Amino acid sequence: MSASHRIAALVLLAAAILAPLLPAFPPFWITLLSYIGLSSLVALGLVVLVGVAGLTSFGQAMFVGFGAYTTAILTTRYGLSPWLTLPVALLVSGLLAWGIGAITLRLKGHYLAIATIAWNVSFYYLAGNLDFFQRNDGISGIPAITLFGIDFADSLNFYWLVLFCLVLAIVLTRNLLDSRPGRAVRALRGGALAAESFGVNTYKARVLAFVYAGILAGLSGWLYAHLQRAVNPSPFGINMSIDYLLMAVAGGVHNIGGALLGAAIVTILRDQLQTMLPWLLNAQGNFETIVFGALLILILQFSPRGLWPHLMRLFDRLMPKAAEPAVPPASEAPPLPLRQQPDRGAEVLRATELRKQFGGLVAVDNVGFQLNAGEVVGLIGPNGAGKSTTFNLLTGVLPATRGSVLFLKDEICGRTARHIATLGIARTFQHVKLVHGMSVLDNVALGAHLRASAGPVQAALLLDKAEEARIFALAWQQLHRVGLAHCAHLAADELSLGQQRLVEIARALCLDPVLLLLDEPAAGLRHLEKAALAKLLDKLRQEGMTILLVEHDMDFVMNLTDRLVVMNFGAELAQGRPKDIQGNPAVIDAYLGTAA
Amino acid sequence: MRKLAAGLLLALGLTTAAQAADPIRVGVVISETGPGASLGIPEGRSIRLLPQEIEGRPVEWIVLDDGSDTTRAVTNMRKLISDNRVDAVIGSTVTPASIAMVEVAAEQRIPMISLAGSAAIVSPVDDRRRWVFKTAQNDALMAGAVVDHMAAAGVKSLGIIAVSDSYGDGWLSIIAPLLQERGIRVTGTERYARTDTSATGQTLKVLAGRPDAVFIISAGTPAALPAKALRERGYRGPMYQTHGVANADFLRVGGREVEGTVLPVAPVTVADQLPESHPSRAVARQYRDAYEAAHGAGSVSAFGSYAYDAGLLLQRAIPVALRTAQPGTPEFRVALRDALEGLRDVTYVNGVVNMSATDHVGQDERARVMAVIKNGTWQALPQ
Amino acid sequence: MAVDLSIFLVLVQDGIVNGAIYGLLALALVIVFTVTRVILVPIGEFVAFGALTLAALETGTLPGTVWLLGILGIASAVCRLWTSRRHATARSVAWQLGTSLLLPVVVTALAWACLHFQAPQLVKVLVVLAIVAPMGPYLYDVVYRPMADASVLVLLIVSVALHLALQGLGLVFFGAEGSRTQSLADATLEIGPMFITGQSIVVILVTIALIIALFLFFERTLMGRALRATAVNRLGARLVAISPALCGHVAFTLAAIIGALGGILISAMTTIYYDTGFLIALKGFVAAVIGGLVSYPLAAASAILIGLVESFASFHASAFKEVLVFMIILPVLLWRSWRTPALLDEGEE
Repeated sequence: MSASHRIAALVLLAAAILAPLLPAFPPFWITLLSYIGLSSLVALGLVVLVGVAGLTSFGQAMFVGFGAYTTAILTTRYGLSPWLTLPVALLVSGLLAWGIGAITLRLKGHYLAIATIAWNVSFYYLAGNLDFFQRNDGISGIPAITLFGIDFADSLNFYWLVLFCLVLAIVLTRNLLDSRPGRAVRALRGGALAAESFGVNTYKARVLAFVYAGILAGLSGWLYAHLQRAVNPSPFGINMSIDYLLMAVAGGVHNIGGALLGAAIVTILRDQLQTMLPWLLNAQGNFETIVFGALLILILQFSPRGLWPHLMRLFDRLMPKAAEPAVPPASEAPPLPLRQQPDRGAEVLRATELRKQFGGLVAVDNVGFQLNAGEVVGLIGPNGAGKSTTFNLLTGVLPATRGSVLFLKDEICGRTARHIATLGIARTFQHVKLVHGMSVLDNVALGAHLRASAGPVQAALLLDKAEEARIFALAWQQLHRVGLAHCAHLAADELSLGQQRLVEIARALCLDPVLLLLDEPAAGLRHLEKAALAKLLDKLRQEGMTILLVEHDMDFVMNLTDRLVVMNFGAELAQGRPKDIQGNPAVIDAYLGTAA
Repeated sequence: MRKLAAGLLLALGLTTAAQAADPIRVGVVISETGPGASLGIPEGRSIRLLPQEIEGRPVEWIVLDDGSDTTRAVTNMRKLISDNRVDAVIGSTVTPASIAMVEVAAEQRIPMISLAGSAAIVSPVDDRRRWVFKTAQNDALMAGAVVDHMAAAGVKSLGIIAVSDSYGDGWLSIIAPLLQERGIRVTGTERYARTDTSATGQTLKVLAGRPDAVFIISAGTPAALPAKALRERGYRGPMYQTHGVANADFLRVGGREVEGTVLPVAPVTVADQLPESHPSRAVARQYRDAYEAAHGAGSVSAFGSYAYDAGLLLQRAIPVALRTAQPGTPEFRVALRDALEGLRDVTYVNGVVNMSATDHVGQDERARVMAVIKNGTWQALPQ
Repeated sequence: MAVDLSIFLVLVQDGIVNGAIYGLLALALVIVFTVTRVILVPIGEFVAFGALTLAALETGTLPGTVWLLGILGIASAVCRLWTSRRHATARSVAWQLGTSLLLPVVVTALAWACLHFQAPQLVKVLVVLAIVAPMGPYLYDVVYRPMADASVLVLLIVSVALHLALQGLGLVFFGAEGSRTQSLADATLEIGPMFITGQSIVVILVTIALIIALFLFFERTLMGRALRATAVNRLGARLVAISPALCGHVAFTLAAIIGALGGILISAMTTIYYDTGFLIALKGFVAAVIGGLVSYPLAAASAILIGLVESFASFHASAFKEVLVFMIILPVLLWRSWRTPALLDEGEE
């Protein structure tokens, strides 16, 4: 967040605090602002869930219901104080989100969306038909919140409370997203495969996002119950869930500000239409929903990514351009403890009789090779030779049909990608897999996921500052190494393809790997960049790292590698020193093609 | 001295004249859209039939739609109170929203007249419900009449199909003890939703219990679905419905399958057939004529009359309250509440009201008429 | 309570008939999604419009949907002329004006004639289809075409907004109370303990006929193949000169026809309200998703499954019917999700 943005946020906050104190401020707008705040909390959860983690939920109203019913039942039936029910409400919505998530979050895409609909519809009808929830009439007579003699039944006091909760939620959300677990959640949008291959437990990250959104919704529900003082199933049905999603998307589902903007637009539009339309049309009738729907369509046609990005662009144009953030100087001292590298020349990896079959197609057939510490080995072969499949077998992305892979004497065949990353194998991808919209620096920091330990609670409370500093020092160090420190603050997708490959290498280096697997690292690089890359890889080799690379640029491969493994049609064709391979007639045949 | 007195009188006169221009504002929160729309729309139309002046003072009826949603009902009520500075609130159409609005009425100390059915909105009259009144008949009043009719007709066992919303819940809880009292056995209670596309399963289950009669608890046209399904499955026995169905659309959709159905209705539904001695006969016919003049013959329903009755109660109570306080003040709200509670022998469309400190509906048997559907019309049964 | 054979058969029949309607909607949703990536929430409104327009014609009033058709036609004409302003020819302009402006006029005249000459039921049904079907492509022109590149989520939210607007219009046109229409076949059939109403036979026959017709359309006609090509690869289809707009028009027309037909079929068996469509569409949508939003047979089969579960749940535990229906869906979803190939990576090779 740049300085001008920070100032703008503070000005906005000051306005939110001061405006209701103006004598001319219409009293109903205080109530309306409270409702906007309540919806914002839920929409904020949706930003994390939908915008950041890429999981669509049609069930947020249900979590609001969990919070609201928890406090309603505990305060009216057992006479508990609302302050006691607050942690219980958060716990109940969090636990239920965790339970529901544990069952449902293994689902993909549309299946997940439908599952959330199923949960929500079921909850709605259960609440309406069970005496425990006092059926469709619901629970009334919920006490107002009081604290040290402050009565929150007063709409202005309640507004302060909502504002406090909202600001707190925004700060927590920002802290969370800007941390190790938060980056793991953000990595979900770059594809589960990439995230898993540097050690992110993507399932856990999904659950984290789901539970966090559930807790925010539960908080909104707790507030709702004490604002409304009565609960029944109608505000927790599937239609309200859709409404929340609508707010988040209309405002901008990728931005925290979008959640607030969307909640404000939808709530104000609904309220103002009912007074303006009869006056505009000069007719009594129920035209609100029609006009509301039509306006929303226009808003989304005008800005499919929500209104917030438009607002920000306008704001940035008006504001003086912020100075480029400084690039810290390169340092060599390792910010995080390094792993013990094997002795030079010791066996690092041994693949034997590896075979992969897709139905009738044999992609990799009886391939075997050995990698020793401090060696750069090239895996080459014509297109379709099975090089990338071999990479995927080594890194646990694909299960091998048969064969074995020993890594530092441990069998890793059949292990998950995440586990293999833990052991010290890092990789890059033939099709670059960076998280779009995330800065280069954050993308690189993602590689250090396994070398740190901060959890979501520490992150939200900023107890992870020291560790974060070390992670980013490491990320800077690796960016300097690949020569991209000057691009650190750009979004990853703004870089050229070749540069993006270098970012992937920097990210892989953050893992402090024993073995580095590079899938076509030089593709898309210009001549000088290639030379720099070769120099970097050579340096890594001198430091004792083992590197296996797939590459088509023969000059690059021949000059750099110690040994080559040549594959053709899934099978191993030859192994040996570059010099020997260059003269191997079988290899020449495979590359140049025989008479066929 | 005389001059001074005259001057004072003049000043007083001027102030009253100035105050006369100050209108009385009544907020109306009803469900003109959403699941309650078939009730809310005639209510909204009836509000527009109410006079624009009470005792020379202009009255503003400010109508907002809550979309049958509790949150919007409460928000709109707060908006009416703080933005429009209303002196009383009418609404809402459905019970859950009304129950939530009770909390606002108590907090803001403003009289409220609900149009929904459940007695839970107004009873027991405690600290919160002091401010709340109601014009729709308590379900209990109607249930008593239905159960009486069943007992008299020799029904020993009863199957029930109820809509799965607040209306169905309310009736089911009221009717169970009444049926037990009369020794009528319930063979089964089934629920269905307003927008269900089939009630076959529920019908089969109810008929499997071989009841003497079937009681369908639902409001408006949705009540026709189980009735039709019963007849389709060959059921020929007696059917009962509640007063919630009494509008022309139910007869249109129900057609010949609902012939012979017995149900309690509000007096307005059979306005022309009320005996000359019935106190509501004149006002019910007057209301019906006014409504149908605006919206077509046969369009009147009991739901609209509840809103109209709420208006009539205010017309009687406002002059009393005006004697002690000025509109737009908290004192006026208190006075209006007291005046509403003090209403005695007020005849409105659906009977005669006697409010008391323990009864904020104030109706008696004159608020219900047993009727049967014959030749596609409502026929009052001899009382 | 024990279920005897006759009750069992009635429940099965009820479940299959309702399931057939869900299945029809699921098919329409799959067609629209594969071709345009739009999850057509407002298909429920096509159901309600179909049923209530027919009911209005039966009671002798000119349905409000006729005016909606006219307004949408004008809006669509404006949008189409605007998008094609660069390369408009006299012929294309005439075609656009004819399909967007002339068509509603003709349809309105038909509806009017239908009212005045006491048309038979079948003619009324055809007129209803003529009123509702063009709304599909008009809405595509006005709402979806300007944002064809938006994400699936945004398109879904636009669909929700459109659903709200159309539902509001439904309330204005038809009022809050429901309607039923005349049965298309009054006869009943008794086979042993089975007692089958003519209408349920009609529903099942029409569903089967429609599935066969769609199969033939997709397999045998050029347009159908173009639609399939678009569904498989949007960019590729574009490169071989299949117009995405034309495909969108066809998909939306099919969806509107299927939706309206579903409404017409079901309104003889149950009361339809201005807001009934959403829940029917939701169940159709669930069925479509179980089919992965690509598989027609799976979608149809899950629709029948949902209908059956619903029917038996309403017999055994009517208060918790929806809970049962949606909770039974969860394991099916889990199973389907496991069955779909592991999502190693969206773009991997």
